[in-house]
Amino acid sequence: MKKLRYIFFIVALAAGLASCEKDNYDGPTAGLSGRFVDVKTQELIEQDIILGTTIEIIEHGYASRTPQALIVKTDGTYANSMLFANTYTVTPVRGNFLPVDSQVVNISGQTTLDFSVTPYIRVNDVSILKTGTKVVATFKLEQNVTNNVKKIGLYAHSDARVGEPMRLVASEIQLNAVSDPSQVYTLEIDLAANSSILKPGNKYYFRVGALIDAGEAKPNYRPAVRLDI
Amino acid sequence: MTTNKFSFIILLTGILFSGCNKVLDLKPTDKIQAEALFGDPEGVKLYMANLYYQLPVEDFTYFRNGFNWNSGDPNNGGFAPAMATDEAVHSEFGDFVGDGDFNCWEGSYKLIRDVNLLIDAIPTLKIREDEKAALTGESAFIKAYAYFALAKRYGGVSLIKASQQYTGDAASLRVARSTEQQTWDYVLELCDQAINNLGDGVSRRASKWTAYALKSRAALHAASLAKFGNRAPMSGQAVNDKLIGLDASLANGYYEACKTASLALMNAGKFELFMPNPANAEAAAENYRLLFQDPGNKEVIFAKGYTLPGAFLGHNYDIWYQPAQVANGWPHPGRMNPTLDLVDTYESYDNPGHSAPIVTSTDGNITDYNGFNAGRTYIQFDSPNDIFKKKDARLWGTAILPSTLWKSIPIIIQAGYVKPDGNAVIRTNEHMVINGTTYYTYGAASTSMYSGFDTYGGNNTRTGFSFKKFMNQTAPIVPGWNQSTTDFIDFRLAEILLNYAEAVVESGTGDAALAAKALNDIRKRAAHTTDIPLTSDNVQRERRVELAFENKRFWDLIRRREYHTEFNNRLKHSLLPLQDLRALPATKYIFVRVNVPNSNTQTFQPKSYYRPIPGIGSNGLVQNPQY
Repeated sequence: MKKLRYIFFIVALAAGLASCEKDNYDGPTAGLSGRFVDVKTQELIEQDIILGTTIEIIEHGYASRTPQALIVKTDGTYANSMLFANTYTVTPVRGNFLPVDSQVVNISGQTTLDFSVTPYIRVNDVSILKTGTKVVATFKLEQNVTNNVKKIGLYAHSDARVGEPMRLVASEIQLNAVSDPSQVYTLEIDLAANSSILKPGNKYYFRVGALIDAGEAKPNYRPAVRLDI
Repeated sequence: MTTNKFSFIILLTGILFSGCNKVLDLKPTDKIQAEALFGDPEGVKLYMANLYYQLPVEDFTYFRNGFNWNSGDPNNGGFAPAMATDEAVHSEFGDFVGDGDFNCWEGSYKLIRDVNLLIDAIPTLKIREDEKAALTGESAFIKAYAYFALAKRYGGVSLIKASQQYTGDAASLRVARSTEQQTWDYVLELCDQAINNLGDGVSRRASKWTAYALKSRAALHAASLAKFGNRAPMSGQAVNDKLIGLDASLANGYYEACKTASLALMNAGKFELFMPNPANAEAAAENYRLLFQDPGNKEVIFAKGYTLPGAFLGHNYDIWYQPAQVANGWPHPGRMNPTLDLVDTYESYDNPGHSAPIVTSTDGNITDYNGFNAGRTYIQFDSPNDIFKKKDARLWGTAILPSTLWKSIPIIIQAGYVKPDGNAVIRTNEHMVINGTTYYTYGAASTSMYSGFDTYGGNNTRTGFSFKKFMNQTAPIVPGWNQSTTDFIDFRLAEILLNYAEAVVESGTGDAALAAKALNDIRKRAAHTTDIPLTSDNVQRERRVELAFENKRFWDLIRRREYHTEFNNRLKHSLLPLQDLRALPATKYIFVRVNVPNSNTQTFQPKSYYRPIPGIGSNGLVQNPQY
């Protein structure tokens, strides 16, 4: 009897599974990657890893207009290698550069799409040095729009992706004025006053940024510098 | 014979069937029919009680998980909305505003549907015309309340102005979102309907006055969004379609509506501040505490009452938030820890019109949060609460300060001590004997004898302050769920006065002298004797201290678009009271300002100014940006 029940179970299971098929849809095989490049200097435009520039893509052929978001890496490159091959509307949004129009892109295989854009602000001649018990940053600003510069900041974090939204310590000046291209701006972080967060003997990343006063604009940066404090 | 039998069967069938009378057309016996319920005024009252129960009042049962959080198992760790603001931290959790928090979509629309069904029935009721008007007004108030809850979370929403009939086509029930402006205007229109139809008595039900109060609050919210919306610009389809966002030009109209509604309450002659002229600061602190412990006074415009303990009846504020020493066997007390940030905000009687941050050292540095530093000279105090001596009475009525009495017990909150050799022992359980006397880091020998800084069970404050406002001082804690029955004041005159003051100062129009008087009347009740000028900063500071923990701060940060600047990698702060054993034989205490121990930074994402709309796959609505 027990054996019979066992056999019955096996038969039922086999009958049940017989109707199953291995997932018959192909996985995502295409991808989109590229870079945000300064139209003038041809350099990559530095970004934030969180709350930074986002690329919205909307796949054609569906009723839903809910965009997928691609995150841009700190160095200004981006990549999503797991997209379904199709036609997409691609729009970079909430960036730190003059807004660019949407474009329709046919993504098949690993597609490359670079954006040549004008950053709101170029942060130039950056020097970040440890001087005594302070970290001092000096830099110049070159802005490409007539808006005010809202604030400038020196940001510190133990992670290389340091920035305005991701910092342990910030030293900021609310500028709220148009910047002077010839002026050297100076920001400092007092290490002694932040000793419980920036622990002496450790290495931290420091990065300067400048935020334009425009809509949902994000700050412009130069690459972070690693310092031993 | 066969014929006979056959005839007999036919006859019998005929007889039997004649007894049947639409046998399948039975009415269900476990449900009350609409006519039966609404045909009887008592039935309408019952139905109304259910509508009031569903009202989205942000009271003691409102948590980030939703409203009426007092079911049979309401265990949510006691994470109050205040802990998502700068008012408090939880003794253990470091959570912040998540996408799934503070929503009200389904509950609000369920309430709106239920109200619409009642509105349908009102004309058919066999009651007097004035009673019909009162029901119409009450329905409008409840509907306005529900749409206000929706508008401040989602912006423009679907306005279901009348009940919908399902005719087999689900798509016909879909209603697109109205613009944010239309939604706010509809809230105010419903308030006006309520004002025009309701009587002027004061009770626990809606009246003309509760409708004015709701209008005052809602209009101020809308006005602030219009004025300060540009502090946090947004983009996307919802913005393009004006489903979120109000034009700056609308601000003054809404401020005007707030002023008119507030004035109606101020001039009603029915409401007055509770104990407006205290003898001294000590009396003022006690008055302030009493105002909330038993909200049966003339300051109250609308209250949500609690009468019986039990699931869906009582609430859990006392078990979650009273200090550990009075836990009375309850295993999880002490969750609400008011922050040093809030404590700093209260004025000092020495310096009216300014926040008075707690100064702990002779160098006066109040921005050093790096912990005890033997190189600094800390000011020594005779008791663990002397440092707060000159602070606003409302601090003493809102928070339990170290070594003050609660239920006749001194509540011990001590973070450690400085040894005679100058080394500090902080947030470590230790004791030392000096000249035969034992000194404990936490101020007492065992976990049942102190309420601060020990991580044991998460039952101790980690900010240096415990919670007093709303707490029941007269009865011991009943160690079980839903046992508290303290009433919650939803609208009180002090808020209306502050709404008026804010509307006047932000719009730059109106009776500035009256607005300044409103502001200073509230301060006088808190034993202040010097009037301060009407400024935006003074009004906001007054709101923070007067309305602390009444779940207003969250919305003030939202409507004034200050959340993302106040919370940008924000750490909240604690005040560590240490006994300074270097001063022996004298008993002296010093204080250290620090970041809240074991806490992480918090950042408010601008998208969180609007909550995500659920179910857009089926309801077809336009989603708010970035969700």
